Amino acid sequence: MKSEPDMIETLFAESRAQAPTVSDDLLARVLADAAQMQPRPVPAPTLWAAMLDLIGGWPSVGGLAVAGVAGIWVGFAPPTSVSTWTEDLIGTPVSIDLLGDGTDYFAEGFADG
Amino acid sequence: MTTPTGQNAATSDADLLSAYAGGDMDAAAVLTGRLLPHVLGQATRMLNDQAEAEDVAQEALMRLWKVAPDWRLGEAKVSTWLYRVTANLCTDRLRKRRNVPLDQVAEPIDPTNSVVTQLQENARMTALSDALSELPERQAQAVSLRHLEGLSNPEIGQIMQISLRSVESLTARGKRALTQILQGRKAELGYEDEI
Repeated sequence: MKSEPDMIETLFAESRAQAPTVSDDLLARVLADAAQMQPRPVPAPTLWAAMLDLIGGWPSVGGLAVAGVAGIWVGFAPPTSVSTWTEDLIGTPVSIDLLGDGTDYFAEGFADG
Repeated sequence: MTTPTGQNAATSDADLLSAYAGGDMDAAAVLTGRLLPHVLGQATRMLNDQAEAEDVAQEALMRLWKVAPDWRLGEAKVSTWLYRVTANLCTDRLRKRRNVPLDQVAEPIDPTNSVVTQLQENARMTALSDALSELPERQAQAVSLRHLEGLSNPEIGQIMQISLRSVESLTARGKRALTQILQGRKAELGYEDEI
């Protein structure tokens, strides 16, 4: 009759002797999982995509475009409030005639032909 | 054997995993052929239930595919990592089994053995697996890795991420507890008649 230690060792040995075979179904399931989980290769970014990424994507491009158009508009036709504000800030605008009085003579000459 | 993409028996598991993460499905096939039998064997020995063992094996490999892109070469062995994952998945199942009446546990029949021998052997393996389910989880893992997988204490220490002293303590206490649980079932398991 087996003692308890012998019995447990026999049980361990019987368990170790088990060598289950991998069924085709299990193999197919595991490989299907592998195919499904496989990381997709990431294409190298183009220069344009890299620049877009650098400034924060399309929303940033939209913001830059609006700001640019607004700047040009303010430059050509500044609202009165802007003129008043700049006068307050830097004083009354001063115009400087870089060509001096002699230009009147030339202008007349051109006008007479 | 060399695959179309150049893997062979000398290619390490970690290199195959890296190749898989890089888009090479042949690497996954080689890795599966290499690892799945071991994972299924470990799960079968701990659970003694074919369907449950297959589910555990599939889940363990699924987790491997998931971590593949983040696997750092040289940090851990794939087989060590898989032993740990499989042991954890099995003890999760064993814990749930504590509340299931024994007669509901599936008993697979192998047609290559005589029915009586097969039933007796299956009853023993079921008794062992059920006894494992009664142990604290860390003890069950240490005992199964030592005595069912035949691993050395340093290997078990790496798998369970514990010291050698802890491995020795867990396996000794676990084995004693298993013996106590099973000692009253000798006749039932067919050991009374054996010399």
